[in-house]
Amino acid sequence: MKVLAVMERFKSFARGRQGQRGKLMLLGMNSNDGWIAKLLLYIVLTIVAFLYMQPLLYIVTTMFKSLSDLIDPTVKYLPREWNFDNIVKAWKGLEYPQAFTNTLVIALFCSGIQVIICAITGYGLARLRFPGRKFLLFLVVLTFLIPSQVYVIPLFVLYGKLGLLNTPFVFLIPALFGQGLRSALFIIIFSQFFHGQPKSLEEAAKLDGASAYRLFWRIMLPLAKSACIVVFLFSFIWYWNMYYEASMFLSESFTPLSIRLDNLDRVLTGNTFSQFNIQLNPVTEGAKMSAVFLILLPPTLLYMVAQRWFTEGIERTGLVE
Amino acid sequence: MAATGTSRRGRSLYRWKEYSVGYMFLLPWTIGFAVFMAFPIGWSLFISFHTVAFKAEGMEYTFVGIENYRRVLAEDSEYSVKLLLYFQEVVIMIPLIILFSFLVSILLNQRFRGRMLFRALFFLPVIFATGQVLMELFRQGQGDLPFISQYGLEEIVASAVGVQFAAPVLGVLSKAVIILWYSGVQILIFIAGFQTIPGSIYEAIRIDGASPWESFWKITLPAMKPFIGLCTLYTFVDMFTFPFNPIMELVSKHMFLQKTGYGYSSAMAWLYFAVVLVMMLTVIWFTSRSRKSG
Repeated sequence: MKVLAVMERFKSFARGRQGQRGKLMLLGMNSNDGWIAKLLLYIVLTIVAFLYMQPLLYIVTTMFKSLSDLIDPTVKYLPREWNFDNIVKAWKGLEYPQAFTNTLVIALFCSGIQVIICAITGYGLARLRFPGRKFLLFLVVLTFLIPSQVYVIPLFVLYGKLGLLNTPFVFLIPALFGQGLRSALFIIIFSQFFHGQPKSLEEAAKLDGASAYRLFWRIMLPLAKSACIVVFLFSFIWYWNMYYEASMFLSESFTPLSIRLDNLDRVLTGNTFSQFNIQLNPVTEGAKMSAVFLILLPPTLLYMVAQRWFTEGIERTGLVE
Repeated sequence: MAATGTSRRGRSLYRWKEYSVGYMFLLPWTIGFAVFMAFPIGWSLFISFHTVAFKAEGMEYTFVGIENYRRVLAEDSEYSVKLLLYFQEVVIMIPLIILFSFLVSILLNQRFRGRMLFRALFFLPVIFATGQVLMELFRQGQGDLPFISQYGLEEIVASAVGVQFAAPVLGVLSKAVIILWYSGVQILIFIAGFQTIPGSIYEAIRIDGASPWESFWKITLPAMKPFIGLCTLYTFVDMFTFPFNPIMELVSKHMFLQKTGYGYSSAMAWLYFAVVLVMMLTVIWFTSRSRKSG
């Protein structure tokens, strides 16, 4: 009842003259030129953005806190003194240069391969006619929906038999056959993109006597440049941050950054059981946050450089149809 | 007769040539699917009806029928409770994410200076939302909205929705910021969706005397329906395949336990997948229906 009353009041407010202005400010689709509306927009966005970015602020400030600052509850964000020990500890604990190289090798090669193979598959599904196409498309969507826990152990045994475990090939080879991280999503993106291209492209190529393969490499793939960039960037980020799959298949020797973060507590304190300890450990908290920072830094830099493609690419690829 | 026969054969040959190109394009994926997907999935289904013992010469299977499934459902007290709790949380989380990203994308779709900066900012979490980093932040109690404990919202929530629903609601609220971090891609999809509505429609309806408020309900919302469906679906998949959700953790935990083993945890994963699939198909059915009627 109360809700109804409020709704009623809101409606009458919306009908009134004052309401009209309020509506313009809130939703005004083409009447957002008033400076009050602009100001309101900025205020709301800034507040939301601040809330949104708060954990980030926490990471960056905790990095520089000394142990006494971490224990002291009066220190919320800014540390009393700036302390750089944590970064050094994290750098050593992660064995950063080596782990960085490992992660980079996986992320770079896998996403490169994924772009090509997903483009090929997506093109086949979108533009070529053959019996069973719908069924294959259905299978692609299905692979997107299945949680990896369902099949991870057989995969583990399979990779073990193939001798791929704890080598970068454990990710490279599935990626080569279109079964990389979230390949299905990328295939769908490409297939949507190719679907939206004009039909005359194929006809023109046919008249010129070009084969389907030539058409794909020479015309279609270059056309899909924006889609390629989006897929590459997303794939890179997801491979960089991948944790679950890496913890199954790359737990020894060739370990990426995310696994080392997991082990950091143990490395720093020498305590074998701390991995299972959910309680906070103030001794390593600062170092852990520095490690998080070190891990996030490279993809963030990449994002800053490629920001335009990230945010505009999705619109251009026509993923949304 | 003979002439038409050869031409028909020629045509079918030509058609098969065309088909073979399609199959060539799909070949690598199909091989990959067979080896790295279908085979492990089939194997895991097989295992879920067996108990697995690791012996020196390999794995030894004993057929137990649906015993694993029965044990998961009837004897495991942890599984059903966690499953139910997580579903409750997700049911709250999905509308929250959709609503938040829809509102933010409306704001970001306005024309103002620094729009690109804000867009970049709201997309940034997609980069940060890595499993391990997120877990670290949850653990340190980051991600709750600062005003929840300050104004004693816990009791208000408990009295508003009842005690049995208070736990998932508060669970969601306590990591609200991080959950909202999942809206990066959704915001992008919505912004892209807004671009598909031609501006001339807004002009036309304004000339007809409609206020922006009305044009929002009459044009923007109906036109955005398929995108809302798409985002819901994406969020759904994201939430349910997230490797740190409690069910996934339970499955992983039971894999290496002496008492339960891999057969048991496979049964767990399959039950979970079955439930999720049913829910997902319902969402797809709803969105496809709304798209047809809209």
